[in-house]
Amino acid sequence: MPDTTPSFEARLAQARDTSLRLKRAIAQVIVGQDAVVEQVLWGLIAGGHVLLEGNPGLGKTLLVRTLSSCLDLRFSRIQFTPDLMPSDVTGTNVLVMDAGAAGHGGRFELHRGPIFGQVVLADEINRATPKTQSALLEAMQEHAVTIAGRRHALEEPFFVLATENPIEMEGTYPLPEAQLDRFLLKVSVPIPNEDELTEILARTTGKPVGDPARVLSQEDVRSLQALCREVAVAEPVLRYAARLVSASAPDAKDAPPLVRRAVRFGAGVRGAQSLVLAAKAVALLEGRAHVAFADVQKTAAPVLRHRILRSFEGEADGVSCDQIVHELLGVVPTRPEAVERAAQGG
Amino acid sequence: MAAPADTEFRRAFQGSFAGFAARVRRRHALRHALTGAGFGLALGALGALGLWALRLGELRPFAACVGVFGALVGALWAGKRRWSDTDIALYLDARLGSSETVTTALGAALSGSQEAALSHVLEQANDVLGKADAARVKPPLWARWHALAPLSVAAIATLSLIALPPAPKPAAQAPGADSVRIENLKGLERIEALAALRGQNPEQDARLKKLAEQARKLRESLAKGLEKREALSEIAKLRDGIAAERLKLGDQQNRAGLEAALSAFGTNKSLQQAQKALGNGDLTAFDEEMQKLANRAEVSDRRAAKEALEEAAKEARAKGAKGLAEALDAQRRLFDKREAHADVLREFAQAMRGKLSAEAEQDLKEFGRSGSPRAEQSLSKGLEQALEGLTPAERKRLAERMQKQLQDNDGEASPMSKQQLEDMAKKLSSEAGVEALQEQLRELAKPEQSDDAQRERGLGDADRGGSAAERGLGAVPIPMSGDPDPGTGQGTPGSPGNTDKGGTPGTGSEHDKGTAEHQGLTPPVAGKELRSKAEPRLMAGAPMHGATLGRAPARAGETANQVGAGTLGEARQTEVGAVDHADIPEEYREQVGRYFEP
Repeated sequence: MPDTTPSFEARLAQARDTSLRLKRAIAQVIVGQDAVVEQVLWGLIAGGHVLLEGNPGLGKTLLVRTLSSCLDLRFSRIQFTPDLMPSDVTGTNVLVMDAGAAGHGGRFELHRGPIFGQVVLADEINRATPKTQSALLEAMQEHAVTIAGRRHALEEPFFVLATENPIEMEGTYPLPEAQLDRFLLKVSVPIPNEDELTEILARTTGKPVGDPARVLSQEDVRSLQALCREVAVAEPVLRYAARLVSASAPDAKDAPPLVRRAVRFGAGVRGAQSLVLAAKAVALLEGRAHVAFADVQKTAAPVLRHRILRSFEGEADGVSCDQIVHELLGVVPTRPEAVERAAQGG
Repeated sequence: MAAPADTEFRRAFQGSFAGFAARVRRRHALRHALTGAGFGLALGALGALGLWALRLGELRPFAACVGVFGALVGALWAGKRRWSDTDIALYLDARLGSSETVTTALGAALSGSQEAALSHVLEQANDVLGKADAARVKPPLWARWHALAPLSVAAIATLSLIALPPAPKPAAQAPGADSVRIENLKGLERIEALAALRGQNPEQDARLKKLAEQARKLRESLAKGLEKREALSEIAKLRDGIAAERLKLGDQQNRAGLEAALSAFGTNKSLQQAQKALGNGDLTAFDEEMQKLANRAEVSDRRAAKEALEEAAKEARAKGAKGLAEALDAQRRLFDKREAHADVLREFAQAMRGKLSAEAEQDLKEFGRSGSPRAEQSLSKGLEQALEGLTPAERKRLAERMQKQLQDNDGEASPMSKQQLEDMAKKLSSEAGVEALQEQLRELAKPEQSDDAQRERGLGDADRGGSAAERGLGAVPIPMSGDPDPGTGQGTPGSPGNTDKGGTPGTGSEHDKGTAEHQGLTPPVAGKELRSKAEPRLMAGAPMHGATLGRAPARAGETANQVGAGTLGEARQTEVGAVDHADIPEEYREQVGRYFEP
């Protein structure tokens, strides 16, 4: 029987083509924010969750809704508020009375919460209490929820996109570092420039535009995620990722002075894993079957920025996590010094 | 089992990568060798410069060998720091901009994995290497510092061809390092004369002979040629040796005895000069004073001198000053002999009264009054002349007169004198006897010194000889004890204004009551300038506490020797004789003492 499995090259080409189509479909609704869209796709392809951070009204929620429209995945949204209960996220067993049983003989029936969606938008995640946040974050990690002592697996692909507002911190519950670590990427949503804003105004103040067409099926998403795992990484690239993450710890031997001064805790093992996975997604989106140093460098900021805990001195000096990551990229060499010097022609 | 295509990609990649790797490594090694040669030649140029400066002209071209050595070191260094395959793959990726395709493919080729992605990467890497421009991926060969090589070669060549710098002037010789050659250094013969001197004991005899022998050897060495400083050092050693042999009456062992002995001489005014000489530790002067006392006509003076000598010897022995006691005993024995000689001369002269010249008569008076050895010699000569002019009849009458004198003075003259006078009276009877008598008179006039005085005189003479030898070598001699005048080597006369005549030269002290003939003036000092002068304030103002005979309670080079308060402040018991008690080498003590000797 002939082998109908497409070749690797075909799958690679198809992945690139699909991602381009997806970006184009999103671009029909979202103006600009190419980098944000790109990074959200890294998260989707790498099988991780993404935390979107930006000021109100920058299109975070719209982006997620548009993405879910492009994917043939079940979408659900949870608006996090301080009175939101964990069961509001996970669902609960409700007593259902049987009409024929005449007053005796009821049964519990599971009412699934919004977490059972495939693309879950956790809006304003930092407004819910830690207990509720914890219910979501457990599901993110385990891809399963436990209700009334019974474990319920979540349907794959399972992709959480959370948003948070860096201003209006009054009455919020900032996510602890351990829970932030569950997000593969933390994407900063920038303020659109004049051209982008003009285009947004033109699009949103006229006739409503319909939802974009579905581009990817569930199977396509699973295939992309599987292909991402197949992308090859050379040992020097892995070592580079490891060196970057190691140097983010202030007590590390190779830590730059800024890290020693401004960082309290650096990224951990999960950070390094996330760095490589995200780099693989980048390589895949660029149609490569292997990771380059540049891929690691490109993903370093969104992967590490929420995993680096600044010290009091760092915060007081106004040193941002992005500055620290930039410093790390400048200090940690990709190649041995002699090789780098020769490559530069010196 | 690997798919055929995969194997083909793998093999193709390995082949092309090996080719690139070899080229990269070759150039890498060559670059290091050039670097080594450059720095080696630079080092060689510095070496050539050094050789040129050191005037080692013939070695200059060989400095280029350092460059060859440097190239070898560079090549070895390159071998040691050889790039790994991964390094080369990273280098190729960086040069070709291939996003780590070659590096990933190398890992895939080495792992042997058959994953589809790796096969794809291998295929891409083959494509990248196949399209790669060999010239583009060549590592750089030349560096800025490689310019050192031709510059250094030029420098070495230049330094090898130019003339050597002029030879440096030889360093100046150290002071005294110049060699001297003197056939017969004046002064050394006086040290050699120590061999004939009689020591206190056989051990001292041996030491004196050894000093004389050393002086002889030094004279021979100087005749052959010797470094001046070495010669001066030898002379200084000889002088130290001589100083060590001199009798030290004032040292710790003899001091108490000396003090006691001096008190024995304080009973009679006629013994004052002798006491002073003994107090100064000058045995020669003391001997001369004893000679004068023995020559004197006054019996009481002589008796007092004898009693003082006996008492002093006894006291000195009691205080443990054995050497001093022996010296005083010897002086006592000699005193009798001298006294007898003086008696003979005096009695004979008395017998010759009337036949003597006026000058001889004056000498006789002077001899009886002062006991001066000069008067003794003069009297002896006068007696000889008087004897020559006597007729046989007169000689007979003289003999008779002498017999009568002996009978008249029975009991006064010593038995030894009587015997001698009888012999002399007998000799007057014949011509041959007269000649023998004249000879006897000459012998009597010769001064007879004690052994200690002779030795001290000889040692003093030897020391002055050493001083003269030092001057002969152009050095300034250090004043030594008993060295009366460093400039002349002769004793300076006594203080101005003293009209005494016929005395021996004094010691130069202003308190000296010497009787030298100086007509109220001292001769000019032969020294070029005043070398040193100790002016202790010991005698300023009131007499010092417990001072005896005008001597200070402390001597030059020593510490206090009496307990109590004086000009210098309070001297406590522990400070008395501190220098003597201190653990200071004798040689050094002597040098310091000599330096501070006024």
